Amino acid sequence: MIELRNVSKSYRTSTGFNHVLRDVSIVFPTGHSVGILGMNGSGKSTLIRLIGAAEPPDKGSVYRDMRVSWPLGYTGGFQGNLTARENCRFVARIYGETVEYVERFTDEFAELGDYFDMPLRNYSAGMRARFAFAVSLACDFDCYLVDEALETGDARYKEKFRRAFEERREGSSVILVSHNEQTIRRNCDMAAILHNGSIEMYDSVREAMQHYKFLQTRAA
Amino acid sequence: MRSINSRAGTAITPSIILSALVTQGRVINALILRETKTRYGRHKLGFFWMFIEPMFFVGLFLAFKLLVRSPTSGGMPDAYFIITGITPFLLFRQSMSSLANAIAGSRSLLAFPQVTTFDVILAIILLEFSSLLMVFTILLIGSAAFFGPYAIENPLLVLYGILLLGISGAGLGMMFAALVPIMPSIKNITNPLFGRPLFFTSGVFFTADMIPSSVRDYILYNPLLHMIEIIRSGFFVEFESQYIDHRYAFLFATGLLLVGMLMHQSMRNHAIKSA
Repeated sequence: MIELRNVSKSYRTSTGFNHVLRDVSIVFPTGHSVGILGMNGSGKSTLIRLIGAAEPPDKGSVYRDMRVSWPLGYTGGFQGNLTARENCRFVARIYGETVEYVERFTDEFAELGDYFDMPLRNYSAGMRARFAFAVSLACDFDCYLVDEALETGDARYKEKFRRAFEERREGSSVILVSHNEQTIRRNCDMAAILHNGSIEMYDSVREAMQHYKFLQTRAA
Repeated sequence: MRSINSRAGTAITPSIILSALVTQGRVINALILRETKTRYGRHKLGFFWMFIEPMFFVGLFLAFKLLVRSPTSGGMPDAYFIITGITPFLLFRQSMSSLANAIAGSRSLLAFPQVTTFDVILAIILLEFSSLLMVFTILLIGSAAFFGPYAIENPLLVLYGILLLGISGAGLGMMFAALVPIMPSIKNITNPLFGRPLFFTSGVFFTADMIPSSVRDYILYNPLLHMIEIIRSGFFVEFESQYIDHRYAFLFATGLLLVGMLMHQSMRNHAIKSA
């Protein structure tokens, strides 16, 4: 379970303070895939960084009783001038995993072939996403934080990744942020909407979708 | 820093502190290995490059000395004289320039919750210190083989002087790193503004008593000169500087470090965002 208690976060911009989250409290239960819908600029990435402890909240606290991944995205966490193998080693070391195992697993799962020993900056977006997911699976987290990136890569690989998640679903959770309803509908069994600095959890994905559509039409 | 107090009301026990320290050690180890790989791993001769610059200056100085006979080493053996000047200075310059770019260069790593800017800074400082100490040792061994061995008078004082230079460089580097987000061009002026003038006024090629007293009065305001004088006083039996102001050198180095840390702390979030 991951719980946010009265979390507030704002950034200073040239035009004053931008309040991304205002006094947000929400519980992400274990064993579920929760999708967080939000329009561009609504603070999705900030939220996922707070959940993953990549940033501290201004106010309130984030409670985690599980091993949470770093926010998986297109680039997050990796050094473009190092190869996939070298990045693997770095991740394995900071998480205290066996370096050889993480390397081997990632190499097999990501199916990067010769690219595994080439610098990440030569990768396509899809390959980067494949690599990021494979490394995170190798580390065997209890909760995976995903920032948008699920929609990259070919259909076969997406399917492979989804199956890997299904296998782990028993004890592990996924928190996925996206502005894309399709992504959430396909991958999640719960959904929340982030809008105007507050977040609301819905019992069913369908219900959340309906409300999200309503918000979008109102915004347009 | 770490999320040891993530749960409100949980007491901080020794075991929590220990596990946080273990994590920190793991992170710094991983960062050092990563940085080494980024710097020296790309080319076959990568590691060798570290030695090129100081060796170049040793060679240049010796050649100069053979040709004109004018630059004196005050009775100190020439090769050792120049090594004790150039290597500590390179530590200063390297620490300054690599820390100035450190935060920007490792922004993507901050996505990992256990990696903080503090870890990045510490890893780079450790890497600079250990590589320059290694260069120093190897150059000394090389000189011993070529020009005959030399017994260091007071190794601890030498190390202290080197430490002061490293700390000063680290402090300045952190200050630059903090200023980069508001003044991105500052990265380009660290060397022309600080590196180069200091290179010629810090006593890499001379000691304070070799220069005319009218110039000396001014040049002694350069704290790095005091630090290099400390190193040479510790190194050579033949040399004891009368111009060292220990308090000045110490306060300057620790002052720079303190200001650098404070500036880094206050600008940290800004630096991460806009890097």
